[in-house]
Amino acid sequence: MSQPSAALDRVAVAPRARPRRRALRPSRIAAFAFLCVAALLFCVPLYVVVVTSFKSMDEIRLGRTFDLPHVWTLDAWTSAWGQACSGLSCGGVSVGFVNSMWILIPSLVLSIAFAMVTGYAASLWRVKWANGFLFALFICSFVPFQIIMYPLIRATAVLSVYGTTFGVALIHVVLSMPILTLIFRNYFMSIPQELIAAAMIDSGSFWRIFFEIVLPMSGNILIVALILMVTGVWNDFLVGLTFGAQGAQPMTVILNNIALTTTGGNNYATDMAAALMTAAPPLIIYLLLGKFFVQGVTAGAIKG
Amino acid sequence: MPAVQFRNIVKHYGNLAVIENLDLDIGDGEFVVLLGPSGCGKTTLLNLLAGLIEVDGGAISIDGRDVTDLDPKDRGLAMVFQSYALYPTKTVRGNLAFGLSARNISRDESERRIDWAARLLRIDHLLDRKPAQLSGGQRQRVAIGRALVKQVGVCLYDEPLSNLDAKLRTEMRMEIKKLHDQLRNTVVYVTHDQVEAMTMATRIAVMDKGVIQQFSSPAEIYDEPENLFVADFVGSPSMNMLDCEIGDANGSITAVDSVDKLVFDLDGYSWRRPVEPGRQVKVGFRAEHFQAGGDASSAGKHVRFERPVEYFEKHGPDAIAFLSLPQKAIAVRVDSRIADSYRSGQPLLTALPLEKINVFDASSGRRL
Amino acid sequence: MTIRWSRLAPQLALSPSVAVTVFVFLGGICWTIYLSFTASRRFPDYTLVGFRQYVRLFKDAAWIVSLENAVIFAIGSLASIAFGFILAALIDKEARGEAVFRTVFLYPLAISLIVTGLIWRWLFNPDLGVENVFHSIGWNWVHFNWLADPSTVMYGIILASVWQSTGFFMALMLSGLKSINVEIWRAAKLDGVPFWRLYLEVVIPMMKLTFLTCLILLCIGVVKAYDIIVAMTNAGPGDASYLPGYFVINAYWQKSNLGYAAAGATIMLLMTFALFFPLALFAAVRRRTEA
Repeated sequence: MSQPSAALDRVAVAPRARPRRRALRPSRIAAFAFLCVAALLFCVPLYVVVVTSFKSMDEIRLGRTFDLPHVWTLDAWTSAWGQACSGLSCGGVSVGFVNSMWILIPSLVLSIAFAMVTGYAASLWRVKWANGFLFALFICSFVPFQIIMYPLIRATAVLSVYGTTFGVALIHVVLSMPILTLIFRNYFMSIPQELIAAAMIDSGSFWRIFFEIVLPMSGNILIVALILMVTGVWNDFLVGLTFGAQGAQPMTVILNNIALTTTGGNNYATDMAAALMTAAPPLIIYLLLGKFFVQGVTAGAIKG
Repeated sequence: MPAVQFRNIVKHYGNLAVIENLDLDIGDGEFVVLLGPSGCGKTTLLNLLAGLIEVDGGAISIDGRDVTDLDPKDRGLAMVFQSYALYPTKTVRGNLAFGLSARNISRDESERRIDWAARLLRIDHLLDRKPAQLSGGQRQRVAIGRALVKQVGVCLYDEPLSNLDAKLRTEMRMEIKKLHDQLRNTVVYVTHDQVEAMTMATRIAVMDKGVIQQFSSPAEIYDEPENLFVADFVGSPSMNMLDCEIGDANGSITAVDSVDKLVFDLDGYSWRRPVEPGRQVKVGFRAEHFQAGGDASSAGKHVRFERPVEYFEKHGPDAIAFLSLPQKAIAVRVDSRIADSYRSGQPLLTALPLEKINVFDASSGRRL
Repeated sequence: MTIRWSRLAPQLALSPSVAVTVFVFLGGICWTIYLSFTASRRFPDYTLVGFRQYVRLFKDAAWIVSLENAVIFAIGSLASIAFGFILAALIDKEARGEAVFRTVFLYPLAISLIVTGLIWRWLFNPDLGVENVFHSIGWNWVHFNWLADPSTVMYGIILASVWQSTGFFMALMLSGLKSINVEIWRAAKLDGVPFWRLYLEVVIPMMKLTFLTCLILLCIGVVKAYDIIVAMTNAGPGDASYLPGYFVINAYWQKSNLGYAAAGATIMLLMTFALFFPLALFAAVRRRTEA
């Protein structure tokens, strides 16, 4: 379909030429007001969670959900990090944080390298069946996880990585391969043909052209893919739940368990603090690299 | 031995035959221009030679070596692209060196060649810049430099000047020509610009619909076009064409304008093929071969006619007068003084030297 | 012809991904479909039983509920497409604060659905959440305890999901709007066409493909939805908030019925392809016209 990254680049580089500011008309004020109200509503849930996480349980029981804490306390945060119970083990979300990292890093490196080389070979080199293959990938990117869940469980068991963080990472690599490949492929197709032709005449070597010409040109799309993977893998629940047995569960799974564990009374502040800690890494990346995140999610959605 | 040889080349895109059974021999050290309208197959032919696309039939050889099944890098050629195709992340030096390092050329030798090419093209002060920091003309030089450092026998140019403005284009045209005179390598140059073709080529291959219409020197292409397509495509304005019929007046062959009954005496014409009276032909002649106004009355073996001027197209030093003939308007190049002194509708006396006339068969379009 | 490295290298580089596609995706799908015709329970049992699993499936009230819920969920989530389009149109025309608004509307997408579910469960909490706040100021008629009531639980999930996905559709719509030629707006301004007519008669028809894409992505998302259900309701109260994606996982892990889960997954696959087909068709037609 369209070339999302190129389209967005254009948008970012050259915003539509706008006429000089004129007197505000009522319709524009109304539009602006509407946007502001909508934005406030969007922020309410996050606000509630943040203030709740700094309250003590006694204060929460007062029910003043929207009020700022009278006494700011970090108790919930420390207990969420190190003591909150998920089922029978009480190690807080820190256990999950470490596991998520161990899942994230190998899956990032492997999936991006894998998808990038695949996209490069399929789009810039003459392979007769490349287009058929890419169409197959396009279809695969829509396949629901449930339909290949059992085969994947068996495969990881055979490879004896089931229940390990590396196993979870491998599954992420496999599941993200179609979509990431298509994103890279779309980007590589936007490289001028003549440039590749020049490289073919100059060098003709598959890996030389990849490392010396194509890779250095791929900075932006690498960041886009990276962000897509970081948020996708970090926020994943189902794969982590299915393949990460006790001890290899990612942060989201631990968080869900903490929220479900009511032994010793539910401490909502702890739940909220744990939720915020789980949400923080992708949220921080999003705030720092918002433009690339937008490209990533739209590219991840529209492809082919 | 020809440097580049095409034998029975066939290329299809799907069901569409782009090139069908094409032969072309390019001599060593020649500067051959492939000239034709867009879609004529000239770029396809160049890409086939470079190995960027594969032939569906036939063979290509370079220096007597069959390269049909070789990769582009193994064919011993270099190429300059329309968009220059410089590697954006590499410096100028890196751009020049990339092709050399892939060929296992020693560092010393590679530096020597880069130095040589950079000085030849006057880009030695730009070697550490990135392509984005260069002007169009500078990028063009770097692109040529990238081809030169390989020091291969055959250099391909794919419309290299079409992204430059008019002034730079003239300048680079001269420079490419000078480089060729100096280095004497074989050049195959694709363009749709006939000025480039006329000024640079040792021979021009005019292409249309995947067929080489004529392959000869620029002068021959211009003065003795092989067929109607070449006559029409080369030259600006295009060659004037009048529908005529071959006649036989007192033993001498003539061509008679079918509407106007204008008579062209063809006794002095060097016929390529025999003609017989009654044959439908097209008589072609160029605008600049006319003499007009006062000059028209003096000359010898001419055909003269006086027709009203439809309008003048003034070019500065000279002008084109469009004379309205009953069949169609014909273009006549005249002195700008004439353009200034005549009004539209006023008849203008013109004389056309008969030895400049071209005769084509009306049905086959071939030169007679 | 002799073997050429330049031909071989890219094909070798593609071979791992081809292997993954063939063995994991294609092979995995075939295996699961095969399992759906067997009597497998906890472990595979390759006795073929024909369509028995499917017949059972469609007699299972929870599965029927999950299909009904999927329809409700999809229709309710249309709000996020509509809302996303309105926000995109306003942001596109309003120069001020585009980056800020975009950031605010899109941030829920960067958050895990588990966190989203947790946040909303908290807001829906009858004693300490939003309802309590309204009651404390005397608005006792406000009922916001949606998740506890089987008749409203899906609306609660829809609300959370709209909050989460509106920004996503807004981003898609924005990139669609940006690709519309600037001169159309100027021409409309010169012609004095009211902006709402311009949107209805020109802009929205021009963005057909974007809308179709959004719609299909939304539906496929509904079929797959799992995390949000786990985090908000665990399919409760009772079986009231089952969705197909949840049902299948549940059938395998909780009910330990592999064949049954495989049958559900196969139906999910069919639904996905039925939704995916128009998109593929559109893409194919486009490719044909572009070529």
